[in-house]
Amino acid sequence: MKRTFSLFDGASLFITALVLLFLTASLCTLAAGGLPFLIDALRSQEVRFAIRLSLVTSTLSTLLCFLTGIPCAYALARCRMPLRRLCRLILELPLSLPCLVAGLCLLMMFASGPGRLLRDFGLRVIFEPAGIVMAQWMVNIPFVIRLVRTELEALDGRLEFIAGMLGASRWQRFSTVTLPLCRNALIVTAILTWARAVGEFGATLMLVGVTRMKTETLPASIYLNLSTGDNGMAMASALILLILSGAALLFSARFRRRTASRMEGAAAL
Amino acid sequence: MTALEFEHFCLSRGSMNIRDVSLALEEREIFALLGPTGAGKTLLLESAAGFYAPEQGTVRLYGTPVQDIPLEERNIGFVYQDYALFPHMTVEDNIAYGLRVRRVPRTKQNALTRELAGLLGIRHVLKDYPQTLSGGEQQRTALARALILKPRLLLLDEPFSALDESAKNKLYGEVAALPERFGCAVFFVTHNIREAQRLALRIGVMEKGRLTGIRPAGAALTETEEDA
Repeated sequence: MKRTFSLFDGASLFITALVLLFLTASLCTLAAGGLPFLIDALRSQEVRFAIRLSLVTSTLSTLLCFLTGIPCAYALARCRMPLRRLCRLILELPLSLPCLVAGLCLLMMFASGPGRLLRDFGLRVIFEPAGIVMAQWMVNIPFVIRLVRTELEALDGRLEFIAGMLGASRWQRFSTVTLPLCRNALIVTAILTWARAVGEFGATLMLVGVTRMKTETLPASIYLNLSTGDNGMAMASALILLILSGAALLFSARFRRRTASRMEGAAAL
Repeated sequence: MTALEFEHFCLSRGSMNIRDVSLALEEREIFALLGPTGAGKTLLLESAAGFYAPEQGTVRLYGTPVQDIPLEERNIGFVYQDYALFPHMTVEDNIAYGLRVRRVPRTKQNALTRELAGLLGIRHVLKDYPQTLSGGEQQRTALARALILKPRLLLLDEPFSALDESAKNKLYGEVAALPERFGCAVFFVTHNIREAQRLALRIGVMEKGRLTGIRPAGAALTETEEDA
């Protein structure tokens, strides 16, 4: 069959070339500026602190997102609860909220009366590392709910129904049918959530500020080093952040391929 | 005793409207629901299992409204047209699923699974995944999964549509023997009149969401019903 070249193909190729050019230029600049300082950065106590804090907070916030997000997504996708559409709207509303605004909302909330009450009970978040986890959770929870809900809605609901008729309780249906069938998609969601958390800055800045060696995550380290004119260290930190994000992206692509082949297998049934 | 009863049942789903369906299915009876594609047969079958709540009327399972019985206690076997097997489990795990979630001892699970698989001729594929099976093997797996708990009611949605003639003929005999062997009533949906006449005691004819008549299987059907 003769291949035709449409206007859409041309536009798509042109935009891809532009994006590629931009990405290559940015990455080359970053690599050229950051590589000479990479070893120094990795030896620096401050950057190592930032890497450790970023890894710990993003892992904790991802776990928290999953613990809270999966039950919400499952309820939205499967349960016939009242006000389901309104709940969905409210839970996914922060997706359209700029991160800075989300952080500002958290700051105002924790600085107000109820927030002070929580602080008295030991939940200290303003200018504290725990606030980083809170900010990352706030930014990522609607993302997790949306992705997991979409995946659950795409699953054949009859499988759970049949499992129920075979005597499985709701938890058994979830753990033996639903969860294994969307396992790879959940892993991809976890990796993407983690990568977003590692790079989160706006909400974190508003809630915990940027204090050297206290609330200094990798993005905060870039910001601090740029502010003090240490461009080399800033670029090295950016390079480390880029490597982490790139690794996460590659890892998630691997699982996404597995999910796609599993779905093809299931579709053949 | 009446195994399944629809009383003035009404339901709308998308463009499909089921209107005022009343029918009763006796214990150990095989009942066929005949009708063309889009008549609402599958919707009615799923409603018998309680997948959808009626908008009007009631569906009773052994005298109790099906919606009032928790899903896991209904004791209904359901075989979908495309079998809806669990794709992440082997044939053995699919069949034994009902026993596993009821925490039946492992040795008993294995024994019952092997016995039923032997009865339905799928013992050789027990370790395989559903994606690798033929249509007939998938159908038997779905049937074995539904029968392992000895259900009081077996619902079959076009169970023979994906099979070739020889596989069909073999399974007709097995389905016809189910009420005697497992003590269950069988309610099955088909658009093949010969299939319905061969297996069922009575045939219900459905058109455009309405049950237009119920006949003994031996009785002659009208021209329209024949077309279904």
